[in-house]
Amino acid sequence: MNVLECRDLTKIYGKVVAVKNVSLGIGKGQTKVIFGPSGSGKSTLLRCLGLLEKPTSGTIYFNGIDVYTTKQDLNKLRAKIGFVFQEPSLFRHLTALGNVVLGLKHVLGYSEDEARRKAMEALKLVKMEDWANYYPAQLSGGQQQRVGIARAIAMDPEIILFDEPTAALDVELKWEVISVMKDLADRGTTMLVATHELRFAKEVADEMIFMDQGEIIEIGTPEQFFRSPMTERARKFMAKLLG
Amino acid sequence: MLFLLNYSDFLINGFITTVQVTLIGVGLGMILGILAALGDIYGGKIIKIIVNIYVEFFRGSPLIAQLFLIYFTLPALTGIRLDVITAGYLTLALNSGAYQKGYLKGAMEAVFKDQFLAALSLGLPLRKILMYVVVPQALRIVIPAWSNELASMAKSTTALIVIGVREFLNTGVSIVAQTFKPLETYLFITIVYFIWIYSMLKILDIVYDRVKIPGLEPVI
Repeated sequence: MNVLECRDLTKIYGKVVAVKNVSLGIGKGQTKVIFGPSGSGKSTLLRCLGLLEKPTSGTIYFNGIDVYTTKQDLNKLRAKIGFVFQEPSLFRHLTALGNVVLGLKHVLGYSEDEARRKAMEALKLVKMEDWANYYPAQLSGGQQQRVGIARAIAMDPEIILFDEPTAALDVELKWEVISVMKDLADRGTTMLVATHELRFAKEVADEMIFMDQGEIIEIGTPEQFFRSPMTERARKFMAKLLG
Repeated sequence: MLFLLNYSDFLINGFITTVQVTLIGVGLGMILGILAALGDIYGGKIIKIIVNIYVEFFRGSPLIAQLFLIYFTLPALTGIRLDVITAGYLTLALNSGAYQKGYLKGAMEAVFKDQFLAALSLGLPLRKILMYVVVPQALRIVIPAWSNELASMAKSTTALIVIGVREFLNTGVSIVAQTFKPLETYLFITIVYFIWIYSMLKILDIVYDRVKIPGLEPVI
């Protein structure tokens, strides 16, 4: 059974069809990578899967349960689906530690001490324990993203969605974030990652999903995509990414 | 100015009343302002319309007219009679709330949407998102604007003289009526107002410095 799955998911904003009839599922322990040109609907799809936006039509299943028609408590499910955003979106009035503690305390009900201990563990995993008491504005973009990842993993989610977490970072900072994500994938974390970092995809992805104009164009293993994509559009886009 | 010592109890009571109405007016106004700002940002259409009618009305009419309205007209319409001081609190709170709504709304909108989404993704319910993410940031951002409001409200309390509240300026008027010494009396009253308001602003400056967080500077 897939941890998270969508069937015929469509999201329309006004007259713009951002995502069109997308079906995909992520099984436990899998890492899947979504890629495609900007505006191809990756972010919208992820936000729908993260239950941050309601799809216009289609079904989302969490552990096999239809989320919307069975009227699940969305906040409870959101706590089980980690989300890392493209722009580092740390709470600006809280330290790195405070950012990780917030959800542990006020969503999962940990005591202050337990929450702090658990938050420090998460910060260690992303190698940010020495920066625990710094505020977001005092950290680099890459460090902020790592704290964002710690904030997500501390909640022990069943899956983590990454929305182009390195797209807003300088080249030097990208790798510190990617290496953290690779660690997570190696430890068997279930992940769906929108990214253009092909090296990451090649090393850890079980499956790559190519999207364009709101639709899934091609699904395949990294080997397939690197050797010879089946569709013309995927081939062109791969060529562009590989320079 | 020594003759004023004879009226010290009288003056002190007047001053305490002024401080009270200022703090209660601004305090209640802040609660009203937060609620109105939240209503305007997150509320439905009807709530938005009510909030905007309230804000425009109290910002767009004179404070003294509002005082008369609440002290004289409200009882005539509803039968509820307020004593002068309650009418004073209520009017100042409604007036201040209308202004504070504007500052607070700006500050809350400055707490960008990404913060809201991030909190949502952790599974926090709306009430907790507002309590732990939006409001703490908004309050820090709003402090400088809020200092202006406090100073302006402290000065506005003198309007309460028109419905007969024994506030600080009013005690001065009574003393002048008895002593015929307007020069010294009003000079003294004005200086006390100045020292009081000036120190409140200084204290808020210090508070602002204390709670200031890098990256959370005011944007309004």
